Amino acid sequence: MNPNLPDIIVDGRGLEPPEPMERVLAALDAAQPGQRVRFLIHRQPYPLYDLLRRHHYLYETIAGTNGGFEILISTP
Amino acid sequence: MNPAGLSFEQAPPFSVPLRFFLTAPWFLVLAAALMLWEGSGIFASRWLPATLALTHLLVLGFMAQVMLGALLQILPVAVGVTVPRPRLTAALIHIPLTLGTLTLAGAFLFSLPVGFAHAVGLLGLGFGVALIAFHLALWRAPVASGAVIALRCALGALLATVVLGLLLAGSLSWGWSLPVVAITDLHAVWGLAGWTTLLLAGVAYQVVPMFHITPPYPVGLTRRFAPLMTGVLAGWSAFILADWAMGVTVAGIALAIGLIVLAAATLSLLAQRRRKIGDPTLGYWRISMVSLLAGAAVWLLTRWIPALATSPQVELGLGILLIFGFAVAVINGMLYKIVPFLAWFHLQAQLLGRAKAPNIKQLLPDAPVRRQWWASLAALLLLLAAAAYPVVFTYPAALALGATGAWLGVNLLSVARIYQRYRLVV
Repeated sequence: MNPNLPDIIVDGRGLEPPEPMERVLAALDAAQPGQRVRFLIHRQPYPLYDLLRRHHYLYETIAGTNGGFEILISTP
Repeated sequence: MNPAGLSFEQAPPFSVPLRFFLTAPWFLVLAAALMLWEGSGIFASRWLPATLALTHLLVLGFMAQVMLGALLQILPVAVGVTVPRPRLTAALIHIPLTLGTLTLAGAFLFSLPVGFAHAVGLLGLGFGVALIAFHLALWRAPVASGAVIALRCALGALLATVVLGLLLAGSLSWGWSLPVVAITDLHAVWGLAGWTTLLLAGVAYQVVPMFHITPPYPVGLTRRFAPLMTGVLAGWSAFILADWAMGVTVAGIALAIGLIVLAAATLSLLAQRRRKIGDPTLGYWRISMVSLLAGAAVWLLTRWIPALATSPQVELGLGILLIFGFAVAVINGMLYKIVPFLAWFHLQAQLLGRAKAPNIKQLLPDAPVRRQWWASLAALLLLLAAAAYPVVFTYPAALALGATGAWLGVNLLSVARIYQRYRLVV
């Protein structure tokens, strides 16, 4: 993680699959080395986890109080 | 395993479901060609050999083809259980099912006892492999969610439908003595109100909230609908075999109410979509659920007015509403979600970090989907009109059916082509 770079926020809430995943993958492509992507989504994005694991990204999921999730993704 | 979501790590290769999805639309074209060949006589009665051939081109060639292919994808991904040797299993279902459907249609058309014998062998093999593979997988499912319960009931109903169908084909091939009218009704109702409706319900519980951003189906409905429908179907069958008219009427009404509940719940969820941007596949869900409501209403009417129940036009109209309006339309709409999504996902998994994968709208734009929806609606209305006035509407209905089938086939093929092109880049 690079503390000098702000997190890229991707809001996928209320979007139809696979648009949230398209947006988060585009953000990961655009991220600088060490920059994190903070992904907001209305349901557990299981297929995204598979892709992240396959490509060695690190991620942490925080369940929100309103039924949504926040996924913090760090580049490998 | 995640009961609430989908895991793609378990997914089979794309070719496994795709071979079924790319074959199915051409059976709609074949059905249309049969209508053109036979002319308006095909709408005289549901019992004519050509009409039975047409029905089976639709229910086996299109519906069962997609439903079995989709199960190979759904079971690992949505239920978390793997089907062993997916490529081999897919081939052992797809090839006999395709050849068996053609053989059965030919046997009906040319009244060939030996054709029915071959169809029994081929369809028995295809469905036998599917039933064994899917039952083994589903009964090992770690969590009995509403979707798993519905899929189990659907596969139970498929077993009943297949056994009854094989018995009927056996009677046509080897002259077994059976109460053919009663068994044909059981076969049709287990296939449509059982296997098709329950599989659709199990899939809808997952895909309607996920793809259309609606609230979830009520938990009470998802856990009770399929077991109740299966129980009522079993009761209805027992009353038919026991020739108890009152029981048949009451169970028949209960079945129709079940179908109305599913259709009304789905339409109500779709009306509560959180996303207001138009989605062309929604139209297919609407055609399907309105047809299901109309079909259930016609069925109820025939319970009150028995003269209607024996009218060939009403019987054919009911069949068209349930087979083409309800089942073919929703399967058509779901193919437009499933095929681009799987192509996109498999490409993402292969290309991430190496090349840019196309976005989903590049794989399948909205415009051709919207246009084919109009062809599909025209085909439904013309088929219903042909059931009432065959002399006027049979040919236009056949042309519309052929056009919608070919259009669907071309649209799906274009997704597969783009997928191949990107794969070759890697």
